[in-house]
Amino acid sequence: MHAAQILVNAVVLGCLYACIAIGFSLVWGVLNVINLIHGSFIVLGAYLAFGLYNALHISPWYSVAVAAPLFFVLGYLLQRLLLNRVITAPVLVTLTLTFGLDLILNNAMIYFFKADYRKLMLTPSLGSVSIFDVVVPVDRLIATVSALALTGVLYLLLRRSRVGRAIVAVRLDRDAAVLMGVDVKSIYAIAFGLGAALAGCAGVLMALIFPISPLTSSGYLGKAFVVCVLGGLGSVSGALAGGLLLALVEGIGSTFFGPAHATTLSFILLIIFLILRPQGLLGRKGFE
Amino acid sequence: MSKSWVARYAHLAAPLWAVVGCGALASNASAEDVIRFGAPLPITGPLAPEAVKQQQGYDLWAEEANKAGGISVGGKKYKVEIVYADYQSNTPRAVQATEQMITQGNVNFMFGAFGSGAAKAASTVSEKYKVPTLAATASSVQVYDQGYKYLFGTFTPNDTLTTPLTQIIKAKVPEVKKVAILARNDLFPLAIAQEMEKSAKASGFEVVYFEKYAIGTLDHSAALSQIKSLAPQWVFITGYINDLLLVRKQMVDQEMKAPVVTMIAGPAYQEFIESGGPTAENITSASWWHPAERYEGKDIFGSTENFVKLFKAKYKSEPDYGQASAALCGALFQMAIEKAGSLDRDKVRDELAKLDVVTFFGPVKFGPNGQINSLDPPVFQIQGAKPVVLFPDAIKQGDLKVGVN
Repeated sequence: MHAAQILVNAVVLGCLYACIAIGFSLVWGVLNVINLIHGSFIVLGAYLAFGLYNALHISPWYSVAVAAPLFFVLGYLLQRLLLNRVITAPVLVTLTLTFGLDLILNNAMIYFFKADYRKLMLTPSLGSVSIFDVVVPVDRLIATVSALALTGVLYLLLRRSRVGRAIVAVRLDRDAAVLMGVDVKSIYAIAFGLGAALAGCAGVLMALIFPISPLTSSGYLGKAFVVCVLGGLGSVSGALAGGLLLALVEGIGSTFFGPAHATTLSFILLIIFLILRPQGLLGRKGFE
Repeated sequence: MSKSWVARYAHLAAPLWAVVGCGALASNASAEDVIRFGAPLPITGPLAPEAVKQQQGYDLWAEEANKAGGISVGGKKYKVEIVYADYQSNTPRAVQATEQMITQGNVNFMFGAFGSGAAKAASTVSEKYKVPTLAATASSVQVYDQGYKYLFGTFTPNDTLTTPLTQIIKAKVPEVKKVAILARNDLFPLAIAQEMEKSAKASGFEVVYFEKYAIGTLDHSAALSQIKSLAPQWVFITGYINDLLLVRKQMVDQEMKAPVVTMIAGPAYQEFIESGGPTAENITSASWWHPAERYEGKDIFGSTENFVKLFKAKYKSEPDYGQASAALCGALFQMAIEKAGSLDRDKVRDELAKLDVVTFFGPVKFGPNGQINSLDPPVFQIQGAKPVVLFPDAIKQGDLKVGVN
């Protein structure tokens, strides 16, 4: 029964990791930008959920609807006004730019919200459900289902909508997409906006489970990075696979080697993947 | 072109320099009759709640000392000034802040950084510059076994907390056979967990789980599931208040129950009880001081009762050991400086080493390594949203209740 509990914990955590990583993966895959501001977007989303709940008593699952458009606009403008100017420069330039932007946003959050840990406490608390002896906390369950729903929406968007097809086209071959009449700059901005929206929504959902502080942003960014490398860039299914693999390794590693070594194990796995399978679990070779 | 540009700005800046110069002169003049104490604290970051407590303790002491006219040194009164620096819960920055205060901040004496880890790291700097340092919140022996001359601490070694706790559990809860220990991988939380392992084994308990979690861990579900599967009767978890609140919430999420759950250090704080709500009930803990103690002291606060009264009047809340220990450090410095009759760092250091006095915190005497060795720390349990003292018998307020749900 203990094994079942570990498995359930890992699946739940894996979906949350996928949710953290998917926006990051989209931006990296489509724009070839390693977006270092992603972690801070997640934290900002968490503060939004915290603020809305404490001030207006809006539950976090409704706050997703507020966060998505807000962060989309923020990301869209950021790409249009700043990142598009250096998008064709070597990857180090965009990396430095997003690093700088992250420093600004993170320090602004420390300034306005302080670095103290806050916790969104739902009243009454949601409790847990147990099937046989396997226990799942309801807040994690809601976050997991919402995370899956978000990834589903993104999947449909990329598959079925015109904009989505254009994003995929730009991802596959930028020059060919231009020749087909795709407005690449606008697609870049939309993709970055979507990435930001997903980060904001992930933050809202994480607020249900984890404490909120600007200091947690690097932790989220690190997880997103590992998930992308494990799962493969730019694809929805890759992020899910990477998230699940990471959570499983952490869960099993924590059980057999102790929780202090869970992170070490996940980074060893990252190195192994970088050497042996740099395209990730579901990525295509040569595309990375 | 550039010359004229620079010249223009230099001209504009001249009055500014004059103002800065006057400011420096003024502060030099006032520095004559002020004693400056450096206090590097994690004012922001995950350890912020702990820093606020220490700050309250120092401020209360400074206020009381200044109300009485200041510290008397050879017949002359000196005002107390505490200089704070925020090291953002980042230990390397605590070391930098300490060095900066000593070399540029003109401090006379130092208070230690928060907790054993940072206090130990920062003590290397104050030792180098021979600045007497009182650590208010460092209990691990590893801080004091460095052979340092200028470092003193007001928390007794960790085993003074775990030994009485194990004895009480052994006597009162015979069903406890298996103990699980989960520790934050940090100097103090790990050291006290290791002491607990020793105490538990010495009392004949079986330690079925002993693991560390990394600093900053957000998800404890895997570790907690494993502990649950081992069905220990006593769950012992160490960390600081944010860790412990997170672990406690995830324990409830996993529907973990045990006859005894102990958490160190956090439950002594009012915030733990408020944030934990009903989930804080029956959690046992131990600390170095409790407001229910009744000591008649020779320090500026006089008695425990008077300290609690002054604290409540200023902050409208009950003091805990963090605040009390910080205030005590100030009071001890005051006694040592007054006895030395000088601000000479070596003389004050010698007076600190010689101290053998009763204070509102309890009897204070430092061992040869600089750590206090004269206190009997209390064991307590959260009952009805209040910490209730179980040990020592002299200040006992209630009996142990079994069962944490």
